[in-house]
Amino acid sequence: MSVVVEDMNIAIGGKPIVADVDVNIADGERVGLIGSSGSGKSMISKAMLGLLPLNASVSGSIMLGGTQVVGASERELADLRGRYVGTVFQNSAASLNPVMTVGQQIGLPLKLHYDLTKAERAERMVAMLGKVGLSADMADKYPHELSGGQQQRVGIATALITSPRFIIADEPTTALDSITQRQIVDLLTSLVDDAGASMLFITHDFSVLARATTRCYVLESGRIVDSGATADVLANPQTPESKRLVSAARSLTLRNTREDSDE
Amino acid sequence: MSKQRTNKLGAIVRSVWQRGEGKFTLIVLALWLAVALVSLVWTPQSLWVTDGYHVWAKPSASHWLGTDGTGADVFSWLMAGSRTNLLIVLLTVVVSALWGLLLIAAMVARNSALASTSVVMIDALISIPTVLIALILAVPMGASITVIVIACGFGYGLNLARVARPSALLAARSAYVESALANGASGWRVLVSHIIPNILPVLAVQLSLSAGTAVLAESGLTYLGIGVPSGVPSWGHSLATSVKLINVFPLTVLWPGLIVTVVVVALNVFGDVLRDAIDPVTNPALRQIADSAEKEGER
Repeated sequence: MSVVVEDMNIAIGGKPIVADVDVNIADGERVGLIGSSGSGKSMISKAMLGLLPLNASVSGSIMLGGTQVVGASERELADLRGRYVGTVFQNSAASLNPVMTVGQQIGLPLKLHYDLTKAERAERMVAMLGKVGLSADMADKYPHELSGGQQQRVGIATALITSPRFIIADEPTTALDSITQRQIVDLLTSLVDDAGASMLFITHDFSVLARATTRCYVLESGRIVDSGATADVLANPQTPESKRLVSAARSLTLRNTREDSDE
Repeated sequence: MSKQRTNKLGAIVRSVWQRGEGKFTLIVLALWLAVALVSLVWTPQSLWVTDGYHVWAKPSASHWLGTDGTGADVFSWLMAGSRTNLLIVLLTVVVSALWGLLLIAAMVARNSALASTSVVMIDALISIPTVLIALILAVPMGASITVIVIACGFGYGLNLARVARPSALLAARSAYVESALANGASGWRVLVSHIIPNILPVLAVQLSLSAGTAVLAESGLTYLGIGVPSGVPSWGHSLATSVKLINVFPLTVLWPGLIVTVVVVALNVFGDVLRDAIDPVTNPALRQIADSAEKEGER
């Protein structure tokens, strides 16, 4: 599904959070959105889902496939969410319902959008568990019985079970250690590519960005300050803001590499 | 699925039974239910047989707990009363749960105007004593079970909403509710399948407290003459008719008082035990059920 955001402005309680944002994601493309904490990344993903807080106002245009999200009715949005747009959340420990089993969790989008029998749902749910590398007996576990990496796998399975055409991954690896991060990013990108879906990958981590996306936008204080192929932006940042972000990321990554070699 | 649900219920009852106080509450509640059912078809003496020569009699073979001021059998009246009290408690719990959940829904609504007005409204209404509501209701309705149920259901529903609000808000603003919304769940669905299951422990405790308080309220309101009408057996009725002569015939007051006390304690403890039993995080038995169901499926 192609995504076209034009001239988007978001204000919360009258205070502008995001200004003049244009984002283009072609069908089947994996695009990154990177920026430091508080730059407005998550607000952009919430605006795409129509899930901004009630005191927020959004203007401009957000086209998901053929649907205009800005000003859409709750019914239209509910039909879009979970069916055509899948979301992977940052903190999967918190975004899994503590009293629902993994199976119920993964089956939820199917239950909400498709008229399937229980057996059909269970069959797809088990197949999805296999795709994200979890065994079928995980289905009856509760979230608190899983490790962080397993929880995020469940999050990915939930987002992908309806084969959505567009995936929003909102810092899906932030709560994980670096080895698990790599596994989760690889899993997510391979599943998204297999499905032929497009993805917006939001992160503040350049190493993850390089692995997950081909093209990226750099967000700073609510404005897009740089964009281009991810490799180019990393190797040759154009604007002062992205230079600052990249050099900060480099020094962090260097330190990480040194730590890695120590192990 | 229905089998798994039965298993789940069984596991909850077993977990309650495994604890000492759980045994106590289950025995008391089961006895209450059994006595109420038996009283439908049998009581040792007819409720309406009075004997002017044997009023305030001591316990004997024919009158196990003695007789009251009209010479009627105290034991039979208490048995029949358990039925009325059970009805009142069940209705009060249902009414207060529905009313309380409606208020909770308003308080956690995404519409902030509705949320804040409902909070102010509840704070204002909660200041009205339940007895006052019952007194006002009794003016047009007279003494009746409906007065008790409406007054208690109204008051306890407000309490329920007030007590459950923080955890309901916490659930409503949680990442898992956001995730459910992002998956296309509607507001009502989020409330019913995501918020309520997560505040169930709070609801269990508060509703069982309400059940206990409803038993007390029945006695109090009936004593005031605005509860159960005269001629309808209830524990409050048995108390009200004998309490005037407590100095002379203390035994007759003791029995209904004892029953009310034991039942109220059992209901209060029940909520506590139930809270631990219904939460999969605190109750490993519930997790094992899910596991064993899985193994059965493989076979």
